[in-house]
Amino acid sequence: MSATPTVGHRPVDLAVVAARDRENIIVGNEIVRHKRASRLIHWTVSLTFFVCLFSGMPIWSPIFGWMAALFGGLSAARVVHPWAGIAFALASAFMFFHWVGEMRFLPSERGWLGPKALEYMRYEGDDSEVGKYNGGQKLFFFATSLGALGLLVSGLLMWWPSVFPRLVLQFSYLVHDITFIFFAIAIVFHIYLGTAAEPGTFGAMTRGTVSRGWARLHHPRWFRDVTGDDNSRRG
Amino acid sequence: MTNGWIDIKNADVILAMGGNPAENHPVGFKWFLEAKKTRGAKLVAVDPRFTRTASQADLYAPIRPGTDIAFLNGIIRYALADKSRYHEDYVRLHTNGPYLIGDAYKFEDGLFSGFDAAKGEYQKESWGYNPDAKTKAYGVDPTMENPRSVLQLLKQHVDRYTPEMVERICGTPKETFLKVAQIVTSTGNAARVGTITYALGWTQHSTGVQMIRAAAILQLLLGNVGRPGGGVNAFRGHSNIQGATDMAGNFEILPGYLKTPTSAMTNLQGYLDGATPTTLNKQGWASMNYFVNYPKFMVSLLKSLYGKDATKENEFGYAWMPKVDGNYSWMYMFDDMYRGSSMRAGGKEPGPEGFVTFGMNPVGLGPNSKKMIGALSKLKWMVVVENLETETAQFWKAPAEYEGGDPSKIQTEVFLLPASSFAEKDGTFTNSARWLQWKWKALDAPGDARADQEILARIFLAVRDLYKKEGGALPDPILKTSWAYANPVNPDLGDVLKEINGRALSDIPDPKDPTKMLKTAGQQLDGFGQLQDDGSTMCGNWLHSGCYTEAGNNTQRRVTADPTGLGMYHNWGFSWPANRRIMYNRASADAEGKPWDAKRIGIQWNGEKWVGDVPDMKPDAPPGTFGAFIMLPEGVGRLYSPVLNDGPFPEHYEAVEAPVLNALHPKVTSSPVSKRFSTDKDKYGTADKFPIVCTTYRLTEHFHYWTQHHKNGRLNELQPGFFVEIPEGLAKEKGIANGSQVKVSSARGAIQGVAMVTNRLKPLKIDGKETWHIGFPIHWGFGAAEGHRGPLANMLTPSAMDPNTWTPEYKAFLVQIEKA
Amino acid sequence: MVMQSLEIRRSSASVWGIPSGIRSLPIVSKYIDTSTCIGCKACEVACQEWNDLRPVQTTQTGTYQTMPTLHPEFWNLIRFNEQNFDGGIAWIMRKDQCMHCDDPGCLAACPAPGAIVQYANGIVDVNQDLCIGCGYCESGCPFDVPKFHATTGKMAKCTLCVDRTTVGLEPACVKACPTGCLQFGTKDDMVALGNQRVSQLQTAGFKNAALYNPAGVGGTGVVTVLAHGDHLDWYSLPSDPHVPILTRLWKNVVRPLGMVAIVGAVIGAFGHFTKYGRKEVPGSGDSGVEPPGA
Repeated sequence: MSATPTVGHRPVDLAVVAARDRENIIVGNEIVRHKRASRLIHWTVSLTFFVCLFSGMPIWSPIFGWMAALFGGLSAARVVHPWAGIAFALASAFMFFHWVGEMRFLPSERGWLGPKALEYMRYEGDDSEVGKYNGGQKLFFFATSLGALGLLVSGLLMWWPSVFPRLVLQFSYLVHDITFIFFAIAIVFHIYLGTAAEPGTFGAMTRGTVSRGWARLHHPRWFRDVTGDDNSRRG
Repeated sequence: MTNGWIDIKNADVILAMGGNPAENHPVGFKWFLEAKKTRGAKLVAVDPRFTRTASQADLYAPIRPGTDIAFLNGIIRYALADKSRYHEDYVRLHTNGPYLIGDAYKFEDGLFSGFDAAKGEYQKESWGYNPDAKTKAYGVDPTMENPRSVLQLLKQHVDRYTPEMVERICGTPKETFLKVAQIVTSTGNAARVGTITYALGWTQHSTGVQMIRAAAILQLLLGNVGRPGGGVNAFRGHSNIQGATDMAGNFEILPGYLKTPTSAMTNLQGYLDGATPTTLNKQGWASMNYFVNYPKFMVSLLKSLYGKDATKENEFGYAWMPKVDGNYSWMYMFDDMYRGSSMRAGGKEPGPEGFVTFGMNPVGLGPNSKKMIGALSKLKWMVVVENLETETAQFWKAPAEYEGGDPSKIQTEVFLLPASSFAEKDGTFTNSARWLQWKWKALDAPGDARADQEILARIFLAVRDLYKKEGGALPDPILKTSWAYANPVNPDLGDVLKEINGRALSDIPDPKDPTKMLKTAGQQLDGFGQLQDDGSTMCGNWLHSGCYTEAGNNTQRRVTADPTGLGMYHNWGFSWPANRRIMYNRASADAEGKPWDAKRIGIQWNGEKWVGDVPDMKPDAPPGTFGAFIMLPEGVGRLYSPVLNDGPFPEHYEAVEAPVLNALHPKVTSSPVSKRFSTDKDKYGTADKFPIVCTTYRLTEHFHYWTQHHKNGRLNELQPGFFVEIPEGLAKEKGIANGSQVKVSSARGAIQGVAMVTNRLKPLKIDGKETWHIGFPIHWGFGAAEGHRGPLANMLTPSAMDPNTWTPEYKAFLVQIEKA
Repeated sequence: MVMQSLEIRRSSASVWGIPSGIRSLPIVSKYIDTSTCIGCKACEVACQEWNDLRPVQTTQTGTYQTMPTLHPEFWNLIRFNEQNFDGGIAWIMRKDQCMHCDDPGCLAACPAPGAIVQYANGIVDVNQDLCIGCGYCESGCPFDVPKFHATTGKMAKCTLCVDRTTVGLEPACVKACPTGCLQFGTKDDMVALGNQRVSQLQTAGFKNAALYNPAGVGGTGVVTVLAHGDHLDWYSLPSDPHVPILTRLWKNVVRPLGMVAIVGAVIGAFGHFTKYGRKEVPGSGDSGVEPPGA
């Protein structure tokens, strides 16, 4: 087996760096999966999300009160949270339009809400037609986008409690909470799959590149499209 | 008030009319509620508007502004129709109901006998009593059946005021009126007592005094005067307006309601003879006619004014006293100012060239604001002593609609002297209940502000110095004025109060035991009973005597013990006269001196003396000696009063501006003796152009024209702006929405404000015709703090007034209203 | 302002809902008799003066009422209302303020630990130090009382003059009331007084007179005598106030379930890892499997 070079081991190659500005191209042994802009957007969303998370959780429940210390106390957390929320929503919106073109569902992806997801989690799914994004990723994309919208709208209503009617506020708190709960669950799995469960994935969002093997395994059709190599079709 | 604030809790029925005590006297109003809560008393509110008071009333009756006499006479008629509705024993004993009136007295076609059409005045000779030819005593018919007895004349006089007539004049539905009459007359007996409370809603009419007279007559008929829980109770509009009135607040009175001498009264004896009432003999009860002591009061006053210089030889300085040569009341004064000439002395003289005003705001409070501003513009100089820069202090800055003219052409030089406020000086407040209560300075006045007494003293001393230096015409009145204060430039108000109380100037022997001295020289007097007419006592105001005795400053007493249980609190402050809490309290007991109601004892005879409240009677004079009303020559209460300027009985006259002619006598529609003025600013409107009746009033949130001048004042947030209360139907007719701007105009001018469309004002059916009425509060002005300016309400009020007190008619006039 | 931590019965966002105070005190209450209120607004001024609240710029809009609703610098408002009644008018004047509920919706909704407390004597108070100004209490209050102060960024409302009552004085409004329609004392006494007044009103002809002390919030620390108890809307009072169901659902159901779900997701991911391990790329790492087609 050939060792997959990593960033750390390699001398900086300006050509490679430049190449990573574009997606879906082969650079040496690797394939650029996410160009720098995509990665920046992702991490912006991620950062704002965590700011929201840590500033919001202590307001959500006193159990997480310690998180407020990150911001200098609960009052500060409460000030940071809505603004971070706005930033998160903006970043999410940017991300949405950035990626929405690639997130069109294909007929073959039917079933990702049920059996296919379970198959996938059992590492049993083997669909050679998986393109750059599988159905689960697309679902996650739309779910989180919708979640971000829900958090934004309910959050804005909550921001002006003196303006909106009590019943609207009471609903907003519920919507904000429920949305957050689902969002949080989704994020737990997003992180889990992107790190511990699927080695090689995290690099796609850091360096921007994945190995040929990774691409062939997870996104066979994308691998073929990028490399022209049709080997993955077999098996 | 004949009674007191706390005493209201003793009433079974309270008629609140001509006033809105919950609004204007919220603290005193607690006693209304106390009576309701603890005795189940009935509160009846009669008012053009459904007011804060009405919101608490058991019965509310609407009434057209200015028609209260018709309403009250209607109740009097209702009472007299049935002996169970009035207190006959009381009437026979304590009123002039049985007294016979001379045959010359008549009332025909809206005029009493003796009307002098040329002068527009009554000659009152024909109104006199009919003394017995032989005994020269008052003619009296104890059965009160004689057609010339006061009771029968009264009955005859009010006979026209049927419930239907009341409805026609007042607009009060007949059924509502009858309910009121029934409740009010339920106190016409010994077991029950009712009180009547009023305020400026009665006084500020061209028939104001007669409205109060009607209430007094009603209360006398019901036997409610002098009794705890009864009386006729005027609620004063300032914390110390009672004190101001007591201390010569008006031009025609001296301290203690002594009469201001006129220029015709050139010597003291002549003046005293004219002022001291004489009484006719009377079988049975005589009158104490306590005013026979008038010379003692007057001489003691002169001694307080001129000190050692007042001697028997120079008539105690009487010649130095200012004398009046005509009417110097508010509206005449401003009329003179506006005209720049005066006709009061018969000839044409120049009008006043200067004006000093202390703690008041003439531009705001005078009727017909344009005339007030025009009048001040004619002066050479004006001194305003105030703690805020009121509209008066900046009258030349009045907006164009006040027609003050070009400010650069106004030559009046204005001096604004900053004065301290009430909380920044010591002194007494005399409340509506006649209680003198000392108050202590709470804080220092800011900046250069000075207390009133210091400002006065410094002016006086400076003027005296000028007279001393330069002589001048008639220096004596100034040079001889006694100014014996420890600190002449800023007299201690305790010293002033001592002077008001009076003290012995030489030893006064005890009339009962000549070996003893009543008082030795220099001692404070115990009360006006010790005053002398030989110059051995001095007293600044006989009525207040007893307020600062050898025992100390009695206005500072704060003892909460109340052995009577009736809320008299004899050791709290000092109540004039003689610390008496209920005036005429002799009338609270029957012929034998037994109280009408054993639970509510005013005073009673215990076999040796009168006990209870401080008796309004010689303390040791057994029942049957003197009549209950010791200040009146008749010795009894007056159902018929031969002394007022507009008739012995109250008669309904329309306001000077009214929507209809008088239903009783259309030819004499408004008071025949109410004066009008004739300058170009004195315009009077008629119902064809101004069909809507209007009234003015105050709000609990504000104090006169004063609080609006405060920057950041909390009161300004409570009532932030001028508004006009408009009935819903009228608003609909005129297309006026709640909260929108409206313009209200009268013959004098127009003002604009926010419409408050309300259900609390209803149209009244007057003489068969639906009549609208509106109202607005008085507090705003062009000089108020930024953001709180508003029109002067008195821009619209007329130059009309009562013929007895010359109080302007602020409460009923005509306007038109439109969308602004 | 927290006066005595030993006297705290309930505290907002307390993790276990356990009172931090151990003292028990008689429950206090303010008595408001709307039937003898003359709307003089002395209480409004007294409240502002005592609490050093700044004057609020208002405008005349065609009513005697000072402002439309309570305000962060105006905690005591007389509500004026004209109603047709019995052929005439009833002019209702009702003192609006914090009701100091036994079961306060504001406290239930508040996310900041200790920002809203209920003392042992029943007074509900905002601790300005701990308040984060989120405004959740506005949604939880059935009486529309707490108001957000834009300058301080905190919530503000009537404290029942806790700084006065703690030292044995009556609240400032009660002190200033000229008619005695406001009283202060133990809840038992005030309820007794209220019932007495209600029966007096009923005898006087107000058959529907009632004492407003709604059970839905466990009773209020402000008991109100109403002459027209059958027309709560005339007084702008809710007929059945309680902590909002949505607030309860949110705080007592969704939040704990959500926490379980999130923790469950973490545990689920961990469990997944222990069962399925990594999904390695063939030929990389140490799986020993050659990538197909390599």
